[in-house]
Amino acid sequence: MKLRKLALAGMTALALAGVAATSAFADTTLKFVSWQKDEPGYRDWWASVISAFEKQHPGVKIEWTKVERGAYSDTMTTLFAGGTPPDIVHLASFEYQKFADNGWLEDLGPYIEKSKLNLQGWAGQETCNWKGQTDCIMMLYTGFVFGYNEDLLNKAGAKVPTNYQEFLDAARKTTRDVNGDGIPDQFGTGHETKGGGGQYLTEMMNYTLDAGAQFTDQNGKVTIDTPQMVEGLTRWKTIVKDGLTPRDLTSADTRQLFADGRIAMKLDGPQLYPIVQKGKARDQIKFGKDPFTPPMGGSSNVLAIAAEIPDDHKQLVWDFIQIATSDPFQSSFAAMTTSPAPDPRADIAEARKKVADFDTIVEAARSASAAHVDRLPKGLEIQFNEFATMMMNEAKRMIINDLDPKDVAKTMQAKAEAIQNQ
Amino acid sequence: MHILPRLDLARPSRRHWLGYLLLAPAVILIAFLIVYPLFISLEISFQNVGIVRLDLPHKPFTLSNYTRLFASPDFWNAAWVTLKLVVIVTAACFVIGLGTALLVNQRFRGRSVARVLIALPWAVPEVIAVVIFSWMFDSSFGLVNWLAIQFHLSSGMIAWLSSPAGAFFVICVVMIWKGYPFVSIMALAGLQAIPDDYYNAARVDGASAWQRLLNITLPSLMPVLGVSLVLSMLWVFRDFSIIYTMTGGGPLHATQTLSLMTYEQAFSFFKMGYASAIGIVTLIICIIASRLMMGRAPDNL
Repeated sequence: MKLRKLALAGMTALALAGVAATSAFADTTLKFVSWQKDEPGYRDWWASVISAFEKQHPGVKIEWTKVERGAYSDTMTTLFAGGTPPDIVHLASFEYQKFADNGWLEDLGPYIEKSKLNLQGWAGQETCNWKGQTDCIMMLYTGFVFGYNEDLLNKAGAKVPTNYQEFLDAARKTTRDVNGDGIPDQFGTGHETKGGGGQYLTEMMNYTLDAGAQFTDQNGKVTIDTPQMVEGLTRWKTIVKDGLTPRDLTSADTRQLFADGRIAMKLDGPQLYPIVQKGKARDQIKFGKDPFTPPMGGSSNVLAIAAEIPDDHKQLVWDFIQIATSDPFQSSFAAMTTSPAPDPRADIAEARKKVADFDTIVEAARSASAAHVDRLPKGLEIQFNEFATMMMNEAKRMIINDLDPKDVAKTMQAKAEAIQNQ
Repeated sequence: MHILPRLDLARPSRRHWLGYLLLAPAVILIAFLIVYPLFISLEISFQNVGIVRLDLPHKPFTLSNYTRLFASPDFWNAAWVTLKLVVIVTAACFVIGLGTALLVNQRFRGRSVARVLIALPWAVPEVIAVVIFSWMFDSSFGLVNWLAIQFHLSSGMIAWLSSPAGAFFVICVVMIWKGYPFVSIMALAGLQAIPDDYYNAARVDGASAWQRLLNITLPSLMPVLGVSLVLSMLWVFRDFSIIYTMTGGGPLHATQTLSLMTYEQAFSFFKMGYASAIGIVTLIICIIASRLMMGRAPDNL
């Protein structure tokens, strides 16, 4: 009996000593807030990163909390302003500048240098440079792919478009009242027109980019009042006003309508692919090169370290970022999310096996990246929400009041300059 | 040790002390949860700040947020939209709520079911109501458009949420649908408290149904209706979720109320000082409106 007690005590002591030796961070919890916790693919990939991190750091737990995307910016602002930021900072690439500008994000330069993280060719990473400092690591940069319903195009006698005029022609031919009740129930294309300014701008940019328009130039000067932008606005007005897209729907609604064969053509990010695979029209839908040049695309979301957390937590968060940005995990990112990994060294063989059109997705991201496409205009990063809301309101005013795009471009230019100079 | 016995709260002259003591925790809690943030908002509204940190040094005192606010067409538009909503929605809620209460106060078969149906919208969470109505008024696939075309009320699809007038109309419909059951329930409770003797005596005197309504029912209901009116108005004034979820204040600010404008400036544009100024002005308007309503019927409330 005594022996058994002694053995038990010895084993306990050994176990305790072992834990103490292997973990200097016993009972440490890192807070991680993200909107992707319930997103298929992304959720599983983040879970795999967390699991790998916790295995490497015994005693350290990651407390992963979901906050809805719609309330994300408010919640994060409140957390930072209240002095209780999450340790692992996950932000959309168009909102991180506010946090960086307030000095709330750690300068990652020394960490990158010390760990020799290779960011050469990392898609969209230049967006993470803010006022001469690297404040984040880009986690996703995508280009838009072009999905089309071959069956609907064939029935309407339209060919797969390769430019805007062909796209418009195909959209007109495929927008129809199929059941004859006087209500169009099949649309040429589908755009979200219900959400906020950022998404509205993204949808509109498909047309303005193809027309050669930019919101600002490389120096951050507003360049909206140009013939190219007038052409882009005219195209957007035509598509919406002529009813070639259903109105007042969310992105999720338009994607589902496309997947179910109610929309003939869709310009969208790679997140469209898994939705199509579950739709009624999946056998009729094909993916191809975007008829618009350059394709719409841009940076999506970033990882950063909160500047206010203790130094030992900062090192742990950097370890987490290193796992997420390692080549093996970047390879699994492509395979699990069917999105192009920002790491140019990621092995996409597995993703290719899983997704027949993965090369198209990768090519779209490369084309958009090569053309430096981003919905975030240079020089308006801090005021992006206000700028995007203004652009959405003026574009809607153009459509509702049937205004001349030339006048609208002038108004947008003046308002954008006012926002930039305030 | 000896303080409590010396207080002798049982003495009639000190009985009110006990009341203060019992109220103290609630008062302190309210002060902490409401008065302190209010004070902070007031302070911020006089500073030109973006994102606020309480541990950062104060910015210089300025009236710029208020001067900008009163010069902003967006603010006056939001105030006008709020006023229109308050008047239209409150009036409609009153008429429908009182009408349905009078209806289900009558004896008829299925009265219990009718009462439940009338109260049902009140129990439906606002966001769910918005989702249902969004689909009904959808510009491309909505039931309302389909009905309008089938019954030849419209030759084409009406862009309910893409036109300023349409969006405002839809918001009014949803708010009325959501708000009238409250008036109905309150009025029904008031109706059941009116003694039958009043009506019997009126019938004996030969009063018509209309005269009974005007001279017995409505005066007897005034205390209840007065409270309902103030509460309904304040609900419409400060409601956020219905409008935000349905239209986000658009299109072209046609449904942007003061609450939405405050939120947009604070959490979309991160202009906390300006947003606080809007919030403070909204609060003052609310206090004045409530005071006017309460002051008009002091005996009834």
